[in-house]
Amino acid sequence: MTERGWLSDAAAIALSAILLGALVHLATILVIPHVATRDAYARLAPLGAVNATILLERPGPTNRLLPYEDPAVASAFCRFDLRNGPVRVKARIARSGFASLSFHTRPGSVFYALTDKASVHGQLDALVLTAAQLRAVAARDNEDEPSQDLRIVSSSLEGFALVRAFSEQPSLYPEAERDTRSLVCLTEPPPK
Amino acid sequence: MNGLTKASLATAAGLVLGLWSAEASLNSEGIFDVERIGAWRVSPRAGTPDADPYTRAGLERSGEIPLALGEGLRFIAHVDDKGRALDAACRYQVGVRTPPARYWTLSVVDRKGFPIENPAQRYGFRSSELLRAANGDFRIAVAAAVQPGNWLPIGRRQSFALVLRLYDSPISATAGGINPRALPSIILEGCP
Repeated sequence: MTERGWLSDAAAIALSAILLGALVHLATILVIPHVATRDAYARLAPLGAVNATILLERPGPTNRLLPYEDPAVASAFCRFDLRNGPVRVKARIARSGFASLSFHTRPGSVFYALTDKASVHGQLDALVLTAAQLRAVAARDNEDEPSQDLRIVSSSLEGFALVRAFSEQPSLYPEAERDTRSLVCLTEPPPK
Repeated sequence: MNGLTKASLATAAGLVLGLWSAEASLNSEGIFDVERIGAWRVSPRAGTPDADPYTRAGLERSGEIPLALGEGLRFIAHVDDKGRALDAACRYQVGVRTPPARYWTLSVVDRKGFPIENPAQRYGFRSSELLRAANGDFRIAVAAAVQPGNWLPIGRRQSFALVLRLYDSPISATAGGINPRALPSIILEGCP
C-alpha cells in the first residue's frame, strides 16, 4: 500500500469513528434517564411497598442512599401507582419551621411542590391523578359546590411523594422526623 | 487493510469515543443549565421537567432528589472566591451574608455529595443555630482543626465541596439575577 493510500484510509476511519462517536454520545445521554437503575426512585423502591410511608435515615457519612441530602432536614416518602386510581397524599405539619411536600415522576423530575405556607390547619392535602382520571373526576363535580381538592396531574403512572421537614436546631431533629411520619398515601377508588 | 478491518476499527473507536465522552460530560457536573455566581454554582432547572438531557442524565446517575423551585435552591462550591480548588489542608472563612431566605444551611460534602465523617459529628450549620455579629453578619470557619466560633469541620483529608441551601427564598425563581456579593464569600485564610 502506498503511503498516500494509508493516510486516506486512516482519515476515513477517524472521520467515521468521530461521527459514530457523536451518535453514541447523544444516544447514551438520552437513554440514561430511561434505563434508570441508579436514580432516586430506583434507590427508594426497595425500601418498601407502594403507598407505604417510609422515613429516610438521618443524612450522615454512613448513610449512602441518596447524595446531597441536608443533614438538617428530615424526610419521608411514599411511592404511588396511579393504575388502580388516584392517590390521596396528606401530611400534618405540627411545627412552625419549614416543611414541604413535593411530587416526583418516575423519571425523576418534580412536578409539583407545596410548602407549609400552603397548609390548612397544619394539614397539607393533595390528590394525585392522571390526566384521564382528572377528566373523569371533574365531570362529576358539582358546580354549585366547587371541590376544595388540590388536584395534581402526574405525567407518569408511578412516582413518589416526599415530605421534608426542617429542624431549627440539632436537638429538634426528632420532632421534624415526627412531622414527616405523618405522611399518608392512599389509593382512592377510580372515578367512573 | 481490507474494508472489514477498516469498518471494525472505526466502529470500535467510535463506540469508545462516544461512551467515554458521555461519561466525561456527566462527571464534569453540569455543562448546561448551570449558573455560575462567584465561587457558587446552581442549576435552577435541575428538578423541573424542562431540564436539559445532560442535567437529567446527571441526576439519574447521582440519585439526588432535587429541590423544587418553590422549596428552595441548592448552590455548590468546589473552589474559593479566587477560583482555587478547595483543599482540606487549608482553613477557609465563609460569610458574611446570604440572599434572603426563611432558613438556610451550609454543609460540607465529599465529591459524591455525602457528609464527611468528623470527630465533632458536625456536617453543617443552620441559619437558626449560628453565632452572629451584632449586625447579623456571620462567619463560619471551615477547617480540619478546631476553630473558635462557628466551626465547620472538614474531616478526612480529601477533596470536599460546600453546599448552600436556601429554603423558601423569594429569589428561587430568578437565579439568573443573583448578585455574587449577595452569596457568602469563601476566603482562603491559610494553609499550614
